[in-house]
Amino acid sequence: MLSRLPFGTQKKIIIISFVALPLLLLLTFSYYPALELIRLSFTNWDGMSPDKDWIGFRNYEEVFSNPEIFGVFKHNVAYFVVGIVQNIVAIYFAIVLNGKLKGRYFFRLLLFLPYILNGVAVAYTFGYVFDTTNGSLNFLLGKLGLGSETSWLGTESFVNYTLASIGFWRFMGFNMVIYLAALQSIPSDLYEAASIDGANNWQKFRFITLPNIYKIIELNLFLTVTGALEVFDLPFVLTNGGPAGASETFVMKIIETAFQFNNYGLASAMSVVLLISVVLVLSIQRYFLKGRG
Amino acid sequence: MKKAVSLLLVSILMLTMLAACGKDSKDDPKPADTGKETTEKTTTPEETTAGGEELKGKVVFLTNRTDMVGKEYKEYKERFEEKYPGVTIEFEGILDYEKNSKIRIATGKFPDVMLIGPGIPNSDFPKYFAPLDDIQFTGDISFKTLKAFENKMYGVSSGSSTVGIVYNKKAFEKAGITAVPKTLDEFYAAAQKLKDAGIVPLASNFKDKWPLDAWIYDVPTMIGGVSDHQNKRADSDAPYTLDGVYGQSWSILRTLYEKGLLEKDVNSTNWENSKKDVAQGKFGMYLLGNWVINQVIENGAASEDVGFFPFPSDNSGTVKAPLNPDWFYAVNKDGNVAAAKAFVKWMIEESGFEDFAGLIPTLKDKESKLAQLAEFNGYNPQYIEAGPPNDTATAIANQAQIDQGRVVQEFVLSKDPQSILDKYNKLWANAKKNVVK
Repeated sequence: MLSRLPFGTQKKIIIISFVALPLLLLLTFSYYPALELIRLSFTNWDGMSPDKDWIGFRNYEEVFSNPEIFGVFKHNVAYFVVGIVQNIVAIYFAIVLNGKLKGRYFFRLLLFLPYILNGVAVAYTFGYVFDTTNGSLNFLLGKLGLGSETSWLGTESFVNYTLASIGFWRFMGFNMVIYLAALQSIPSDLYEAASIDGANNWQKFRFITLPNIYKIIELNLFLTVTGALEVFDLPFVLTNGGPAGASETFVMKIIETAFQFNNYGLASAMSVVLLISVVLVLSIQRYFLKGRG
Repeated sequence: MKKAVSLLLVSILMLTMLAACGKDSKDDPKPADTGKETTEKTTTPEETTAGGEELKGKVVFLTNRTDMVGKEYKEYKERFEEKYPGVTIEFEGILDYEKNSKIRIATGKFPDVMLIGPGIPNSDFPKYFAPLDDIQFTGDISFKTLKAFENKMYGVSSGSSTVGIVYNKKAFEKAGITAVPKTLDEFYAAAQKLKDAGIVPLASNFKDKWPLDAWIYDVPTMIGGVSDHQNKRADSDAPYTLDGVYGQSWSILRTLYEKGLLEKDVNSTNWENSKKDVAQGKFGMYLLGNWVINQVIENGAASEDVGFFPFPSDNSGTVKAPLNPDWFYAVNKDGNVAAAKAFVKWMIEESGFEDFAGLIPTLKDKESKLAQLAEFNGYNPQYIEAGPPNDTATAIANQAQIDQGRVVQEFVLSKDPQSILDKYNKLWANAKKNVVK
């Protein structure tokens, strides 16, 4: 039946029917909930009652005026810091494993494997590593004579770095694989020409490698930044925000507000604020990186 | 013409897709729909022939015990359906009950028998649930007034629990403790003896927050002798004071922490492992509800090695114990009400669920089969029954975003506990101004 129609019409039908399904799914499961979230952020809904009162910007005022809510963002700084180190290490490994190293496929696989594991499972495993009395890390340090009493997850000053280091272990391989792909796309004649001109390895890295993977660094930083802002599973499983709230993250705060304090309106407003912060931080990042690329 | 054909085609495509999307959601309300019909059928004869009605239809029970689905529940189903041949009972287990059941209730379509916890304000009950006053129990039941609104009961407690010290008798023997402590000083002394014997005296599971609930809800009840301290907070601008019930209760925990009578590092505790450690005698005691007894036994302790005694909160020598309700059964007012009520009655009187779950029976004159509860009662504790929660106090706490578990953590860890209390009292007072107008 379709074949009798003119080619143009057939094409239109095919395009529309192919596009309609993903569009429909996108609209129902992504855009509609997002819009609903924004609508809820202007109400005082308690999560259950049928009436939702419109209260304007009061939830947003609360988010910005309550230091208890906005202050937890400073716990995310640790994840930023570790995230940047993670990217530098990833580039290093990518370059090393891009060379003619024996067993490089094995090492690539080894570094990438943690990314495949489920986040909660990883958190559980590290619970045993960082345990103060029975943990393997303290056991190892004790054997080396470095003191086996450190409370890795119970010291306010570095609990976030402990948690971020797990993120490092988990995502470094992923960053590395992306860098590796970018490195392989750089034509080798560039390096050959540079060698003929007498460039050393550092010069080759600075003037050939870096400019070529600039876009990819940007992408990886984007992933790191959003990851750092939205970190949730590690502190939720390992410390439950403790000790005394020192490792609570913004997303945990949102969940607590919604499901423990029954304030879905405020929690929605917090989610919208998180969304805006991500966009904001990324725009700043883009602004600074743009000039050099 | 061509345009019309393509338009038609596209709209047919869209329609079939929509139909495919709608199928699942159409299937869902079916049980509730049929449930409605059957209630109409069953309630009419009930009015005419009081008592001897035929119960019919399907009853769905949304349960939190996913571990019992397909096992104990299968047997419950057989026994119940034998007694009421017209009724089919179905068990649906969900995890994270409090959160997920709320979502189900919010959609307006939810199973016939639900469990309700503290999450739903009593004033909302008539919107969702049927009053249960007309269920004829064989004896007096506990917590009649707790889930009630305007003199109608909407929830029947599935069992009660109390809070005290669950201890490993072998560990006590090893430390040379011959009699269980009856006063607070004796308790500290016993804990010290355990510590000297190389046993962690009290497993607080500090990190996980929820095991600290006993210090928030139950120890203050024992200290004050009344259970309404959480509600009383609503009348005060500074509910958390050092010499008040909370300050006293948390100071006991702080003292234990300072003397090193809790885990070596309280910020790195592991709940699942602690059960094994208590079972093996590496840890001496828990301050938790009696529900934990069965879990310690499951983790390898012999039942006769696990004991249970009331926590001595002061030096008076008389011990008190709170009586707390577990989940409450509630019946969907738009569901199969008559059959659902029969099921609730059966669960309380005949199922044997409370012995399986390690709870104190809801029927006041029914004896528990648990040996540990018998030991506990042997110390003659004065039971203090929990009262209905106060919506105002909860509303203030939610508005102030006070997570009391975290307050306890800060109180214990801080160098200056008074400053922590001051901080939260200030939050409380501010929120109270907004809530109580």
